[in-house]
Amino acid sequence: MAFLDNSGDIILDAVLTDTGRMRLAKGDGSFSISQFALGDDEIDYSLYNKTHASGTAYYDLEILQTPVLEAFTNNVSSLNSRLITISDTNVMYMPVMKINELAGPARHAVGAYVVMVDSDTESSEGTAGGKYIYGFNGAAQGDNYIRLDQGIDNVNVAPATTLSPQLRETSYMVQIDNRFASITDASNTSIKVARLIDDDNIATYVFSETDDASTMVTDNGVTTGDNQVIAGARGTILQFSFQASTELNTSIQLFTDLGSTEVASSGPMSLQAASYYIDTNVSVLGLTTGYRIDIPVRFLKKQAAS
Amino acid sequence: MATTFKSLTTSDKVSTRTLLHEAIPLTGTILSGTYSDNNIKNFSHGMFQSVYDYPYLSSSANHIMDITVGYSSDSGLSSSANTQNSKKINIYNQMAQVLVGHDHTGAILRFDQDGDIVSGGTKLNECFFLNFSRLLTKDEIKKGSFAITVMTGGTYAARLNDLVISDSGAASDYRVNSPAGEYAVLYPESGGAVGRKVGLIYYQAGIVVLTASIFGESNKTGSSATNPFVPNTGSNYFGDGDVSGRIETNVPEMFRAAEISSSCNGFRNRLVNIAFNNTVELNSTIYFCRAAHNEFNYSANPTYLTESKIRVKNEAADSPISYITTVGLFSADNEMLAVAKLSEPLKKDPTNELTLRVRLDY
Repeated sequence: MAFLDNSGDIILDAVLTDTGRMRLAKGDGSFSISQFALGDDEIDYSLYNKTHASGTAYYDLEILQTPVLEAFTNNVSSLNSRLITISDTNVMYMPVMKINELAGPARHAVGAYVVMVDSDTESSEGTAGGKYIYGFNGAAQGDNYIRLDQGIDNVNVAPATTLSPQLRETSYMVQIDNRFASITDASNTSIKVARLIDDDNIATYVFSETDDASTMVTDNGVTTGDNQVIAGARGTILQFSFQASTELNTSIQLFTDLGSTEVASSGPMSLQAASYYIDTNVSVLGLTTGYRIDIPVRFLKKQAAS
Repeated sequence: MATTFKSLTTSDKVSTRTLLHEAIPLTGTILSGTYSDNNIKNFSHGMFQSVYDYPYLSSSANHIMDITVGYSSDSGLSSSANTQNSKKINIYNQMAQVLVGHDHTGAILRFDQDGDIVSGGTKLNECFFLNFSRLLTKDEIKKGSFAITVMTGGTYAARLNDLVISDSGAASDYRVNSPAGEYAVLYPESGGAVGRKVGLIYYQAGIVVLTASIFGESNKTGSSATNPFVPNTGSNYFGDGDVSGRIETNVPEMFRAAEISSSCNGFRNRLVNIAFNNTVELNSTIYFCRAAHNEFNYSANPTYLTESKIRVKNEAADSPISYITTVGLFSADNEMLAVAKLSEPLKKDPTNELTLRVRLDY
């Protein structure tokens, strides 16, 4: 997309998203706009210069000169970072989400969570002591999930501090390409149902402390530093895992279309057998705080013996 | 509780309807000359001729209009001995049944000179049809904006006698008794023919019907006008002379002897200018996205925080600041249905309130 002309009056470039057009075409009344959100995807707040020699009027000079891209029509490409309404204007610290690899399973050395999609792969790689998630027979495994901790990551807000209800996340939205996997609870015993699957095959799940307590969204009551990645006041924990899709389980089509291969032993993953893999991201959005984190995930499938 | 959404109330939405107009000028050289007729497409069925704005084999070509001719079976020119007699009648009938309709017996009505079909009156039995592409007319041709300049005299090779025909005054004087929508009568703007009814323009259909009699004696203008029915020399003709052994020396002869495509060539080469304004009916919904002083002052942008501390604040009492670049419009199930981008970041802090007016056009 090109930049918008910012030489004159402020203009607003509005388009329907692909999902909007799809719903409009359906004609079933599902195209109904009832709320709005504001975003600042292009803004780099590190450009805010609080020590500018010319004074406060110049603090955000560079930010205000940021060129803005035209609107994307892909519904998942815009509004990745949203503006938040918090009634208290004296908030100094805001919560973040971080992957907890201390209390929960760690990522593979390649930097992603590696999900094995069939029993052959699990037999081949799962016994090799690597850091893998069992995406086919996960229910039989322990520590087979991703854990995200939410809270204020600053020691100036002591862990024992009770996080303000305004900043404590109670609902999470998880988005994953539905062609690859479904989201399950941390123990892989319950495959969750996507709230909706859009035209780009992005499945959206919503988990809340009310509906998914104990299995997925739990309170982080730990006030010590043990196995914690949030340095300050802690909110909730989200844990989830994956059930590989039948398509990944039974076919290499998506792997050949979207993925790559790695040979045995000598590749970055030090695999036991040559395998296909697809890299993707799983997005987690806090519905209260608007904070979003993308988790790198790799789906792995052992190549059939030739 | 913190939130990233704000609900739109009924007072935040308004629907409007706007008519937009564009001026569409078509010069005669586009119609005949500029591209050596490589922008003219004839079909094996021979029923009409298409005009493009560029050689039609190019993917850049846009369809401008179709031209065809036809006469009623009641016309004095109709004869089974004529070239493509049935096709010319078929064309006339097809256009008539779409644009004029049928009588109570189901018979196709003929084009009426003044649109007063019930009272009878003079019919347009021999017609040229200009069917403009929807690309140009959009929803409809703007009433009162149409003008066409035709050379009614002289010869194919040496054309004379510009006749400007328009629907002047049609904005407040048009007919509504056509099954194809609103239409008006076309009048010459100058010369001895002023006041004559020489055609009809159907606004929603984007079709102009011109009587062949505009090329008749009575439309001559100026003392040097040449009688169009009588060519200067035997080698001149109205059509393009593609009928072996025949020369279409005048319009009646053209209707009898020439193929439709040849007649279209003759007519097209006499077009000097066509101009009209099109109309787009724009239905819009405007969403007023109101950010109150205490809303949207914080951001979930990853760069907004450093170790969870807000970058734009030195101390807690400082005002939070955020910068808006995007407005997302959502359904109740949090699916983004539309997105709008500001051309430059807009500062939001507790000292200001903003109303962003997002218009979606349908």
